[in-house]
Amino acid sequence: MEVFLYNGGETFSYEMLINSINQNQEYYPLYKTHDIFAYFDNLVKGIITNSPLVLVDSDLNPSEVAGLDESIINVPTRLDEYHFDDIDAIITALQNSTSEITIFTSGTTGQPKKVVHSINTLTRSVRKGDKYKRQIWAYAYNPTHMAGLQVFFQAFENQNTLVNVFNMQRSDVYQRIEEYKITHISATPTFYRLLLPYEHSYPLVQRITLGGEKSDNHLYDNIKKIFPEAKINNVYASTEAGSLFAAKGDCFQIPEKIRDKFTVVDEELLIHKSLLGKSDSFKYDGDYYHSGDLIEWVNIDDGIFRFKSRKNEVINVGGYKINPGEVEETINSIKGVTQSLVYGKANSILGNVIIAEIQLEEGSIISDLEIRKILKEKLQDFKIPRKIKFVETFSLTRTGKLKRTK
Amino acid sequence: MKGKILEIINNIRAAKEMAPVTELHAEDNLRDDLGLTSFDLAELTVNIEDEFDIDIFEDGLVNTIGEIYTKLG
Repeated sequence: MEVFLYNGGETFSYEMLINSINQNQEYYPLYKTHDIFAYFDNLVKGIITNSPLVLVDSDLNPSEVAGLDESIINVPTRLDEYHFDDIDAIITALQNSTSEITIFTSGTTGQPKKVVHSINTLTRSVRKGDKYKRQIWAYAYNPTHMAGLQVFFQAFENQNTLVNVFNMQRSDVYQRIEEYKITHISATPTFYRLLLPYEHSYPLVQRITLGGEKSDNHLYDNIKKIFPEAKINNVYASTEAGSLFAAKGDCFQIPEKIRDKFTVVDEELLIHKSLLGKSDSFKYDGDYYHSGDLIEWVNIDDGIFRFKSRKNEVINVGGYKINPGEVEETINSIKGVTQSLVYGKANSILGNVIIAEIQLEEGSIISDLEIRKILKEKLQDFKIPRKIKFVETFSLTRTGKLKRTK
Repeated sequence: MKGKILEIINNIRAAKEMAPVTELHAEDNLRDDLGLTSFDLAELTVNIEDEFDIDIFEDGLVNTIGEIYTKLG
């Protein structure tokens, strides 16, 4: 039987997954766990029984998310009796599922927002067939987020093997690439940057996919040295819409069958609502959603474009999106703090690193370490400023707002 | 310069509630020996940049304390 997942020193076969699904006929609608096999087991079980699922990070503090019912976290629900004979039956049930799957986005206006997806939007880009069999994937994304779900469904529907490398350090990633003969890697540019510099090449790797952040030619050149036989491609996926298009190099092409679902206004890419999940937080302009991504056409007739930048202020740190307003609000709530300004500083490792400038109340004494410690209790780790500078004053705009440009 | 690097690294370790190291060796690996994650390395670069005006990771990854010393040399 094929291996489903390697995690740490443990091996989980597809048979173990089937048995686990058939034996324990209850699931958690809202499951917080660090155990990735248990997480996938619960995810698949929920989907194939057409049950609703809410996916949250294992380290998420419920107060960071609006509309999350804390009382149902890790409370099991009994399912109607079922039996699946084999993995094919499970995959078929998954593809035809009517489950509503809720994931969270970090929006521009504060807390993460709920987005409800169907299995169709989540698996839109999954490719199936003989040439997709026997692939071994380095699993390098957070499994509760869009990119991690995309990789999971692609691998699972083709009965591929996943090797968990999420948040692992460089030497461990290479060790697993070698030991498990990994053929496919899908990850953020930050993940690949951490594999640099080139020391050995790994010719068994056939495909390298980058997503979630802007990448650059310096990185491509190095990836080609490390994985000389791999084809490299980029994907564009968002929490709101799932995976939309992929392309080679630094351009993207909108597939012909959905080309009429996009329009560009003031350089911003607008996406038709039929391609999106459902969320109360989406604001539509007619039938279109503002993606916040600024693009330029390379060839408008063929739907080929290049990304320029993000319209809003969201800071991308190693693929995590951080809303500076949320962090500022949390800092400002600390006793002794008058005001704060949070911004991203360009960084060669993570793309950006979060910096906070803080103005203290007169006479108040608090150290940067103490502030970070307080923030740790209120925010996920990636949102916490890595450098705190104490300032006497802030520069203001003419309307009295903090100047964000640095 | 070496004293400053030690101070920066110990500050990062303190924020993670790790005990300070008393001295650094050129062969110390930033990740394996000093326990720094990618987020910690980013913090390290910001602080070194503020202090010395050099981005030590600009041309790819730096693995050891000795490599930092060379870049700042």
